[in-house]
Amino acid sequence: MRRRQRTERILGVLSLAVGLALIAASVGVGAKSSSAASQKNFTNLRVVLDTIDYLDPAQAYTAQSAGIEFAAFDTLVTYAHKDKAHGGSKLVPGLAVSMPRISSNGKTYIFKLRPGLRYSNGKPLKASDFRYTIERLYPATSQGVGFYKAIVGASAYADRCLHSCSGHIGGIIANNAKRTVTFKLTTPRGDFLSTLALQFTVPVPAGTPAADQSTKNLPSIGPYHIINYTPNQGFTLVRNKYFKPTRFVPRPGPDKITVKLIGDANAATQQVINGQADYTNAAIPPDRIGAITRRYGKRLKLAQQANTYYFWMNNRSPVFKKLKARQAVEYAMNRTAMIRAVYGGLGRPTQQVLPPNYPQYKKLSLYKGPNLAKARQLVRQAGVNGAHITVWGRAVTDSQQAVTLMASTLESIGFKTTIKILPRATYYTTIGNASTPDRDIGWARWLEDYPHPSDWFDVLLNGNRITAQNNNNYSETNVGKINRMIERLNKLPLSAKVNKQWAQVDKLVMQNASWAPWVNRLFPQFFGAKVNMSSVVIHPIYEFDYSTVRSK
Amino acid sequence: MTEPATDYSPSLDTASALAAEEHEAAIEGRSPWYLAWRRLRRNYVALAFLGLFFLIVICCSLAPLYARYVAHTGPNATHLAETVIVSGKPRQVLSGGGFHVGKSGELVPNAGGVKILGPTWWHAGGRFLLGADQNGRDVAVRLLYGGVTSLKVGIGSALICTLFALTLALLAGYYGGWIDWIAARLFDLIWAFPVLLLAIALGSALTINGFHHFGINVAAGSLWIPTFVISVVLIPYIGRPLRGQILSLREKEFVEASRGLGAGPLRVMFLELLPNVASTALVFFTLIIATNILTEAGLSFLGAGVQPPNASWGVLISEGQDRIVTAPWLTIVPGVAIVLTVLSLNVFGDGLRDALDPRAKVKVSVAAHEHGADT
Repeated sequence: MRRRQRTERILGVLSLAVGLALIAASVGVGAKSSSAASQKNFTNLRVVLDTIDYLDPAQAYTAQSAGIEFAAFDTLVTYAHKDKAHGGSKLVPGLAVSMPRISSNGKTYIFKLRPGLRYSNGKPLKASDFRYTIERLYPATSQGVGFYKAIVGASAYADRCLHSCSGHIGGIIANNAKRTVTFKLTTPRGDFLSTLALQFTVPVPAGTPAADQSTKNLPSIGPYHIINYTPNQGFTLVRNKYFKPTRFVPRPGPDKITVKLIGDANAATQQVINGQADYTNAAIPPDRIGAITRRYGKRLKLAQQANTYYFWMNNRSPVFKKLKARQAVEYAMNRTAMIRAVYGGLGRPTQQVLPPNYPQYKKLSLYKGPNLAKARQLVRQAGVNGAHITVWGRAVTDSQQAVTLMASTLESIGFKTTIKILPRATYYTTIGNASTPDRDIGWARWLEDYPHPSDWFDVLLNGNRITAQNNNNYSETNVGKINRMIERLNKLPLSAKVNKQWAQVDKLVMQNASWAPWVNRLFPQFFGAKVNMSSVVIHPIYEFDYSTVRSK
Repeated sequence: MTEPATDYSPSLDTASALAAEEHEAAIEGRSPWYLAWRRLRRNYVALAFLGLFFLIVICCSLAPLYARYVAHTGPNATHLAETVIVSGKPRQVLSGGGFHVGKSGELVPNAGGVKILGPTWWHAGGRFLLGADQNGRDVAVRLLYGGVTSLKVGIGSALICTLFALTLALLAGYYGGWIDWIAARLFDLIWAFPVLLLAIALGSALTINGFHHFGINVAAGSLWIPTFVISVVLIPYIGRPLRGQILSLREKEFVEASRGLGAGPLRVMFLELLPNVASTALVFFTLIIATNILTEAGLSFLGAGVQPPNASWGVLISEGQDRIVTAPWLTIVPGVAIVLTVLSLNVFGDGLRDALDPRAKVKVSVAAHEHGADT
């Protein structure tokens, strides 16, 4: 009897506890569901982009395609989709279990793959797919091959591929049984991990043809699978049912993302206004930005993808080989006014190479201005007053306008100018060709490949990398001290100390006045009425993060 | 030389009516040029529009003086950060725009966008009379300098085109045979292309690298490029009618008589044939200036003509088109200039045609050709 009573008592307490737990759970669910009511998943996020170069990760090399591929694919290491602490620019494990083990000499990187990873076609991901992916870049004549030339055997493989790709790159060791991928480098590279986060290393199944697979519904290992790409029209991202979310790459929000390609910025903007699209990153025409900011200001955000727009001054040209002539240009430029005229004020004036969202950025203001009097004085001191110079520009609206303003500035400090505008397609190859005459000063811009100072200084300002053709160092800056610092820092992993030294390189370049940087642009992102703006994440590298957005 | 007007019928055409009023007695002993002048000077509408054209030319020629003494700036000088006193109040040439940091730290564009200083009329001491452009340049100054460029290209290309066409027509018409065949096929070849498309193709090709062949070096941004391109594409519009006229003239008795007196080909061509087609060529020349100004504007608008920062009316319209809603003066002002110039040349050209030959019905119509009609 007593036993029965005790049992009943215990059951009573238990039932009370279960009841309380149920009430608590229902309150929790209620809270969750009310939050979910304000933030719903998009069943179909409608996106308008102006153009896409490729969707095959071996070929894609524009910001537009990188943004899409960041949402769809995954790499060994990647950038977190939501990372408030670092603003999304810190490298985190992607397909790897954790960050790699790096040997003490900085030449060996060992990755362990996450278990159970499958492509969107159900086939398992093998460690050897990573080796194949990088090897595929060579016969595909991908623009990404340059990023991996530090891997042991990569150069020899590239040479073999001139005839017929055979064998493997010796420095990529894949162990399918242990699910490890090892990279061996010829020399330490502080930016090697950053290059492994580039879309060029998005794994594809071994045997994928080298030819462009943009329209072939390439199997995906990331959150989405890209299908139905019709060039110049559009494509769709659908969920990859085999995708395994992680802390850094969560399950994506929209069930489907439909991308329409519309080249006319006016039409793209109108699609969002009409409710036919939920997002566009089209450059809103200057005639409409005023009205749109007034009426739809809350639906506009600005992305600050790392970029620097600058004028290179050829350190070997008769005029700009003189430091004072270069410094005169720095003093003469009215950067704020130029930004207002060319970009409607949507940009930050700058006087340095690195953009402000870099940890190595230390604000420089070496040339207080605009100071036309000082600039004229420097021109006279350099003995180039009245000299004739050619200002080069690219046949795109912003470049042409900036070049016009620069020519006017140069005229005002004593130069005589001729403007030369070249077609979009041939501009960079022409100014990067040593035999092109009259390369005095010209417009250029740099949008990072990956967030690392090497991607700026080593590519654009290392005198040891000047080439006769396809040269990226348009200013032909070749200062021994700068070159040595770049070469040394290239080998070191980033740290607070190394960051300071990169900042010092930035200062040295600007003391040499190799460039006249003028703006870090901000890019308008225009959202439709259905978008819950509080869910919008503007990623520092890939602009709008499609995978995290929610609807109202 | 002058045949009787057997097919004359009364019309409302002013010049025809004037011609009809003339008595044979008055015509006797007068040169055709004098008669044409007499007819023209009684056509007040044509003269008024000639006056308008001269006024435009004079205004444009005064561009450097206006720039220096009234606007105090050059055609390519920018004044982005300047403030202008308009009716006693300071106004920025370019204002507004920019961005601010939102509540949650995000960057948000400022409402309203960039505002460009509009026409000040005479309230800023002559500065920015017709407003500023997106680069802070004085539109009035650029309009005048642009006019100089457009007129130079228009008149220059008309001159080259007429001279080429006249030379080809004289050679083809006088000699006939294979020379005529080559000239006729050349006209056919050029005529086979739509004028603007051919001009765009040539203009685009030449504006990139210039012309550096046969010992001729023309730089990429040179005004010679649009001038040359326009002259080439319009040659058949003058050459074909002139050739036809010369083919008919060479069979006339006065040409035979001249030959019979021992005149050589050059003498016949320049002293017998040329004076008889000079009036037609003059009319064509006048009318084609207007066509050329329009073609230059079209080419420059499309980026295949005059290259920025050089101003031309087409360039001004092209530069202003992005801001047609917020800064309409950037397109309206050069647009009106083109309309007035072309209108004045067309009305005067019509008057001149009527005065030189009241029975002739020559017209230069590019559009007519493109729609399959003959001229």
